[in-house]
Amino acid sequence: MADAAAPRTGLLRSNRRILLGSLSVLAFFVAWQAVFLFVPLNSLFLTKPSLMFAALVRLTMSGQVFFDLGASAAPFAYGLAASVLIGVPTGILMGRRVRVGLALDPLFTVLYASPLVALAPLVVIFLGVGVTGKTFIVFLLTVFDFVFNAYAGVRAVDPLLLNVVRSFGGAEKDLYLKVIFPSVMPYIVAGARIGVGRALIGILIGEFFAASEGVGYEIVRFGNFFALDSMFAYILVVTLIAIVLTQGVRWAERAAFPWRVES
Amino acid sequence: MAESDGLDMALAPAPAVDQDQAPPQSLWQRIEPTVLGISGILGVLLLWQALPAFVTLNAGTKLFFTPPSQVAATLWELFASGTIWAPLGVSAAGFAVGLGIAIAIGLPLGILIGRSETLNALCDPFITAFNATPRLVFLPLVLLWFGLGLWSKVVIVAFGAVFPLLINTHEGIRSADKLLINVVRSFGAKEWDVVRLVVVPNALPYIITGLRLAIGRAVLGVVVSEFFGSDQGLGVMMVQAASQYKVNIVFAGMLVFMALSLTMTSLIKALENHLDRWRPQRLASE
Repeated sequence: MADAAAPRTGLLRSNRRILLGSLSVLAFFVAWQAVFLFVPLNSLFLTKPSLMFAALVRLTMSGQVFFDLGASAAPFAYGLAASVLIGVPTGILMGRRVRVGLALDPLFTVLYASPLVALAPLVVIFLGVGVTGKTFIVFLLTVFDFVFNAYAGVRAVDPLLLNVVRSFGGAEKDLYLKVIFPSVMPYIVAGARIGVGRALIGILIGEFFAASEGVGYEIVRFGNFFALDSMFAYILVVTLIAIVLTQGVRWAERAAFPWRVES
Repeated sequence: MAESDGLDMALAPAPAVDQDQAPPQSLWQRIEPTVLGISGILGVLLLWQALPAFVTLNAGTKLFFTPPSQVAATLWELFASGTIWAPLGVSAAGFAVGLGIAIAIGLPLGILIGRSETLNALCDPFITAFNATPRLVFLPLVLLWFGLGLWSKVVIVAFGAVFPLLINTHEGIRSADKLLINVVRSFGAKEWDVVRLVVVPNALPYIITGLRLAIGRAVLGVVVSEFFGSDQGLGVMMVQAASQYKVNIVFAGMLVFMALSLTMTSLIKALENHLDRWRPQRLASE
């Protein structure tokens, strides 16, 4: 409907968006806080923003937030790194060797489409709830993002470019360095965008099960203690980190590969 | 940007290697992809089955090792004895009700925010935030509010499934051809007619993509909520089996979930093809 009034300047329009957006977030928190002026707060059931932010400040000051974030960040990073290191070469191999691709594609498609999270209890029992177990869950959930994106990236390589490099006397190495890697890169970053979200799920599942530290563990623990202010503070932290990570990858994607127009 | 996951890409047909007039292929050339694909899966299964013959497993690992034949037998037993139906029914109910709620909220809201710039600006921060956050983080809170049982599962499933639907519907609504809208308007159509005649039909492929993603999320929601906060269901059965080292039951449950999501996804795929028949060119909704 608003598009009827289209000839506004782009700047004004985007400002209007930001303004309305901030306004609604602000209104949300104000309303949430104000409700409890009229309704008595049952602190075993809900919390209010003032208490939540107080808890956030308290936990930040004591350094606990950083400790837990560190505990969660290590398996997150290891798992994603393992996925890249194993998934990308596998995907490239599948793309370059047609028969390998044909042989592995259905197997991986089935695995990718199935809820691999369901294997989490096994992983936890087998590898424990420490860094190894969480890393493996993250790996399991993200590796196919990289396999399939690298695979698609290689298949999208222009064969003409390969032939050009070949006819100028390029070796196999040059094919990879000059053509394949550059054209696969955007696909890998796109895989990372999906993978980051799934890695967060993996971390939380690992920590919900039976960890002794980490953000997910603390959320469950605060819940068990009915410490809802701290619980909400941690949920807020996870939300913020998730936004920063996903938007960060998007931004990096646009900055590094501006020619890739995302539909 | 329409939301998508790598699965769309994975399920899309591979680009033909020689696009320009393919020479008549021999039988082997035609069946090679299928043969290779099947042998890939069979090869892994055989390797898994034969693993103890190659390497001697130590006692600890043996506890976790179960060959595929054992998993198949367990699966058969679960169905034959009928023990699987009760937990499967509980899981399916959570899945269906949750997905139903997600559709009932996601579609209308997606249409609304797609049609109104103001509403979109107001909702955008929340949608971005909740979509980026793994909804799993709210699970302990949902359990606190709704307790163990059907409703906390339904909430988690719906919460997980609603965003892909909402976002893809919104994207589809916004991609409607302005010219068509103006034509309908100049024939005196009201907003309702514009939505009904132009906007929603245009958005259908997007909505279906959203639905496909939503199904994946819903299955995930069922699995996870049953792992942590349920007293019945397939996920509960799997966690209990895992804690008793009955690995074969875990894999059997996993296979059932796998079959569930593959069936649903291919049903949606078929629906998509059916609805897309009349389109001049397949719309790339990814």
